Amino acid sequence: MMDYEKGINLIKRRDFLKQGTLGIGSIALSHLLEQDLSASGIEHPVLQHPARAKNVIFLHMVGGPSQMDTFDPKPALDKWDGSPLPEELTKGQKFAFVTPQARVIKSPYSFEPRGESGIVMSELFSHLATVADELTVIRSMKTNEINHGSGELFFHTGHGRLGRPSFGAWASYGLGTENKDLPAYVVLKDGGPVAGTSVWSSGFLSSRHQGVEFRKGQTPIHFLNTPDQTSKEERRLVVDAINGLNGQAFRHYQDPEIETRISQYELAYRMQTSVPDLVDIDSEPEHVLKQYGLRNAEGGKTRNDFARSCLLARRLVEKGVRFIQVFAKGWDHHADIYTDLPRSVGRVDQACAGLISDLKQRGLLDETLVIWGGEFGRTPMVQEHNAGTGDLTEPGRDHHKECFTIWMAGGGVKRGLTYGTTDEFGFGIVENEVHVHDFHATCLHLLGIDHEKLTFRHQGRDYRLTDVHGHVVHDIIA
Amino acid sequence: MYSILRCFTCLALFLSSFIEAFAKSAAPSFSRDIRPILSGNCFKCHGPDPEAREAEFRLDRRQSAIDADVIVPGNPAESWILDMVSSDDPDMRMPPQGDPLSEEEIDKLRAWIENGAEYQAHWAYQKPDLAEQPNVRRRSWPTSELDYFVLDRMEEAKLKPESKAKSAVLLRRLYLDLIGIPPTVEDVTAFEDDPSPKKFEAHVDRLLRSPGFGEKWAASWLDLARYADSNGYQHDDMRTMWPYRDWVINALNDGMPFDQFSIEQLAGDLLPNPTKSQLIATGFNRNVPTNFSGGTKVPEVRANILHDRVSTTGAVWLGLTLECAQCHDHKFDDISQKEYYQLYAFYNKSIQEVDQDGDGMFRKLFTGREVTVYPSDAVRQLAQQLKHDIAVEEEIIAELDEFPKGDTPEAVSEKVVLLDFEGSDPLKSSSSTRPTINSLADNVPIGGGNFAVSVRAEPVLETKGFFGAGFSFPTTDLSGITEITFWIKTDIRSEFNFQVQKNWDRRVSIFGFSNFHLEPETWTKIVAPLAEFTVPQWSIGPVDWTSVQKIQITAYGEESYDGKYIMVDNVVGATSSEQALREKRVAQLRVQLTEMQSSTMVMQDAMEPTQTHIMMRGDYTAPGDSVGTGVLESLHPLDPELPPNRLGLAQWLVDPENPLTPRVVVNRIWAEIFGRGIVTTPEDFGMQGELPTHPELLDWLAISFVENNWSIKELIKTIVLSSTYQQSSSASAVKIMKDPQNNYYSRGPRFRLSAELIRDSLLAISGLLSDKVGGPIVYPVQPDGIWKEIFGPVDETDYPTSSGEDLYRRGIYTVWRRGNPYPSMVNFDTPDRNVCTVKRDRSNTPLQALTLLNDPVYVEMAERFAKVIEGWDGSDQDKIVRSFRTVVSRQPSRRELNILMQLLEQQQSWFAVAQTLLNLDETITKS
Repeated sequence: MMDYEKGINLIKRRDFLKQGTLGIGSIALSHLLEQDLSASGIEHPVLQHPARAKNVIFLHMVGGPSQMDTFDPKPALDKWDGSPLPEELTKGQKFAFVTPQARVIKSPYSFEPRGESGIVMSELFSHLATVADELTVIRSMKTNEINHGSGELFFHTGHGRLGRPSFGAWASYGLGTENKDLPAYVVLKDGGPVAGTSVWSSGFLSSRHQGVEFRKGQTPIHFLNTPDQTSKEERRLVVDAINGLNGQAFRHYQDPEIETRISQYELAYRMQTSVPDLVDIDSEPEHVLKQYGLRNAEGGKTRNDFARSCLLARRLVEKGVRFIQVFAKGWDHHADIYTDLPRSVGRVDQACAGLISDLKQRGLLDETLVIWGGEFGRTPMVQEHNAGTGDLTEPGRDHHKECFTIWMAGGGVKRGLTYGTTDEFGFGIVENEVHVHDFHATCLHLLGIDHEKLTFRHQGRDYRLTDVHGHVVHDIIA
Repeated sequence: MYSILRCFTCLALFLSSFIEAFAKSAAPSFSRDIRPILSGNCFKCHGPDPEAREAEFRLDRRQSAIDADVIVPGNPAESWILDMVSSDDPDMRMPPQGDPLSEEEIDKLRAWIENGAEYQAHWAYQKPDLAEQPNVRRRSWPTSELDYFVLDRMEEAKLKPESKAKSAVLLRRLYLDLIGIPPTVEDVTAFEDDPSPKKFEAHVDRLLRSPGFGEKWAASWLDLARYADSNGYQHDDMRTMWPYRDWVINALNDGMPFDQFSIEQLAGDLLPNPTKSQLIATGFNRNVPTNFSGGTKVPEVRANILHDRVSTTGAVWLGLTLECAQCHDHKFDDISQKEYYQLYAFYNKSIQEVDQDGDGMFRKLFTGREVTVYPSDAVRQLAQQLKHDIAVEEEIIAELDEFPKGDTPEAVSEKVVLLDFEGSDPLKSSSSTRPTINSLADNVPIGGGNFAVSVRAEPVLETKGFFGAGFSFPTTDLSGITEITFWIKTDIRSEFNFQVQKNWDRRVSIFGFSNFHLEPETWTKIVAPLAEFTVPQWSIGPVDWTSVQKIQITAYGEESYDGKYIMVDNVVGATSSEQALREKRVAQLRVQLTEMQSSTMVMQDAMEPTQTHIMMRGDYTAPGDSVGTGVLESLHPLDPELPPNRLGLAQWLVDPENPLTPRVVVNRIWAEIFGRGIVTTPEDFGMQGELPTHPELLDWLAISFVENNWSIKELIKTIVLSSTYQQSSSASAVKIMKDPQNNYYSRGPRFRLSAELIRDSLLAISGLLSDKVGGPIVYPVQPDGIWKEIFGPVDETDYPTSSGEDLYRRGIYTVWRRGNPYPSMVNFDTPDRNVCTVKRDRSNTPLQALTLLNDPVYVEMAERFAKVIEGWDGSDQDKIVRSFRTVVSRQPSRRELNILMQLLEQQQSWFAVAQTLLNLDETITKS
């Protein structure tokens, strides 16, 4: 006769194997039986090969950074400045707001090779330049969508419409959590994606895989704080009473869900102290806060929500949170690449560099994949009218899906690599295209998962993050 | 022997349904055993999709497989398929990707070929078949026909049904299933004490008539209909679709047969002389999320909307995933890409529903059909009265147009007093262009008001130029008046301007007059017809007559004034023509009417619909062959008499010949009551879906459903009157080990309530629940600032928290904003309603504990419940027993009582007790 605890595990595991159709039905049962029941259900890693990364910190620059003003210099634009692009280039292309005949605008920024690897960055990234040798810059990213809502969905769920699970949810589903006291997938944001919570949705996966937003301020998780009138002592006694009564109900019904609920009340109780401690970044030493730009040279506090998110992301990684999604607002530079763009870079530059060096110093960079990028790139052509009012604006750039730049660091990617080539205008890809599906396939690969095997049966179809596409880009893997 | 052996292994290890089913007989059945193997491993390349087909044979067609020698019936040794699947050479072995077939699967294939390799059409595409009543051993147990099918399977699995649930538990279960809130203690004790054998059925009938029935059962339908109150995507603007939600609640409460329920939602607008209610029903298809963001192209938005409609129709009525056939022929089910676009063509007949909002590319707007709706019947009646009043006025105006009267008698004229200086401090409102002393005048004109104001310059105004006296008053609408009259007395002889404006607004209208021909230093009444006001050069435009805040009288001249004061008395706007008066009234009534109304989106087909083309690779910019409307060939035929539009489609879907719809519907209802469907993949009845655990039961339910005129209430009644339903949900640990998912229904259903029902139950328990049914969405308290995070219109970033009764409405009325849904409900697994959701998740997380313990909404419920308990008569123990019964209906055990008594003793707080009770697993669970 099997004991009860194992019975629960069997049920969960069985559901998973059947539901997941991961092709791992033959994994030794004895191994599964050894696993503990955890808060998030599936804790058994579905690794198909050794993982290079355990965690992901995904820094999403909401709006879509301009590649030719950041990491993909295009000196040819100086020559073309003021004239339209060759017609054969723009023919049949989708644009959001500009016309195909819009004039080219050169980048106002100078570029320089940085570090030993000589990764080229615009002058705006003075801090990131100091960790250039840790990066793989991919200049040949491509997506299918030219609007923010659908572009964000595509970047995170591999599908331009609503309803699919996000990358983080797939990671949580495939790998489970390493920390029973915290969710596997945490979302931090200073502004936020326009598609709202759908971007960290669990779609058709179990809702326990959806991203849990840690918010700014006193209540990082909704409903975390005990009501004013309740003392800590009363809360303990109430939870004890609830669990005592639930224990009685379990004796009667023998329903394993009741046991799970008992453990969730205990966990909730612990989270009420562990989460506020976790988000209390002021407890970090001065030099760390400075590293992220959260203290100025004189030690005064600076307000930068993105920097705070980066530091918090590192703390979450230390606690075993699998996937941390950070959103940074303000990268939709339709109007003004002269002053707005430097401001956006200024908000993230030091924190990104600080995050990478901090992770490295703690020996966490190797197992943490850091990703920086937006949902698409921007046109070489200028946009100088407000799309809604028609008013004249400072020169900016429109959405562009044919190519854009992201970078990655740590977690098994090569150090100091620049990958992929775009044409002289920064309009299309010439060599080594990395489609968003390929990007997803590669990230899952780094997490030890075969993107073709991480599937979920929904409405009769085995869905994947990469749908029916995606190739692992082995060239960027160290 | 084989089957006994298998049975043992199963029970000890995997209790999955199909292996169990296999255990039933040694000869493999094509549907049960073989098709899942072929479909899952082979059809992708040797199946319906010609594009993907390899080696030019099909395994989904017997003859094709035989012609290719892949299968030789009766002769496993000659059948290639066995060589291919069992090859040791990884380059040869089939399937080429993924894991090889298991020994067990290969054995099944071999046995099947040996037995003649007979094919059967997919079970779900065959009409339901009425099976004979099974012979059961425990003949006293069944009370309903359906119990025989359940018991038969139970006995095969050597399981025994649980005894009947205790009255209190059973009644609570029934309340939660039928109306979604628990019974009161009085209800429970009355039920316990009632000796009538028909008492349960009497309760069933009563609850089925309660408005709570529709409120409970609508929620799952709204998941299917992806009903929400916002557009989704970027911007996520709000929309008015709650009338559709009310339609669903009302239709369920009225017991509308499911076929009619379907037809009205899919094609209410195409019925002869559709009622407004039938139009509102078609909101079903207008619920689709819509991408309004700047750069999306209108045809792209339309294609996405129509794709959603096709796949939702497939999921809701057919239990099929049609989406796959958008880009290519379905790989598993017999659905071609052409057939997909034939279905798409039904929806492509609709008028254009989205367009660019103006020339700018920034926004889009809805251009589809809308109908006017009112927040309640009372308002509707009020609006009808208003409409009547407007019609009467307009008729009179038309008459006046034809036969104009002269000046109107005083009786019908209307006056707006702007200034009579009887307000608090008349001097505060006055100002002037030079240093002046302002005071109340020492005399007033005969026929004027009681007070007048004097503006006196010191010293004497010997210089030329302007001298003005201005007076402010509360914003006044002068749009309907025909003249302004005022009294003036001055010692200045000059040209004057009488000027009207809004404070700080540079738009001004003026009326000019002079007093050269008037008696100076006496009161004079000036009449300024509105028609004679002009816009001075220095003004940027005429005043906005709807909001006037200031008048000014200004003297101007080339000469020295020789005077020093201006006195002003009563300034009155007057309407002196009956026509103007009535027109003003009509305008006011129209504003009132607009405020009462909103409009909701409904369907309409175009007079000349767009031609539908197959989209190559699903890309709307790559049209292929043109197609007309049509249905799936593998199902029942489309009656040629039916109109080739949505109405025809709807009628085809609810044709009693349809093998899928009745099964799909009864399966979902069964799942809502038992926690899982007879087909455990309610969203997929296709080849890839699970087989029914109780096929005969499913068919019996489907046939009875159609025979009972598609009555949902009758179906639910049949189920809840069964012995299967009424079993106790407690069971031994051994039994739960044997059948953890309750596949055999050998105990009563037990699972957590939905987000809405947790809210509803706890509101009901604490005595806060409002019983108001229907109406506009409500905004219960949620954490601050969440809506500010939505990138949307500025006016929709403030969450308009409701007040009064609307704070305590049932969860189904809570606003559902797709981009940022109500957080406490999200924690209990409400879907975001971005797509049709057939099956909700039922998670068990710490966030749920935090919500019930700390969400101010639930804290308030606990506080209120504590007050209620405190107010009861009796000892502390009596109160605890009663409060326990209020939450879970049954009596507490001694131990349970002790735990609560101890808590009360320690904390001396009924709040702690109330909060504990509201947080019990059993409180938020149907047991």
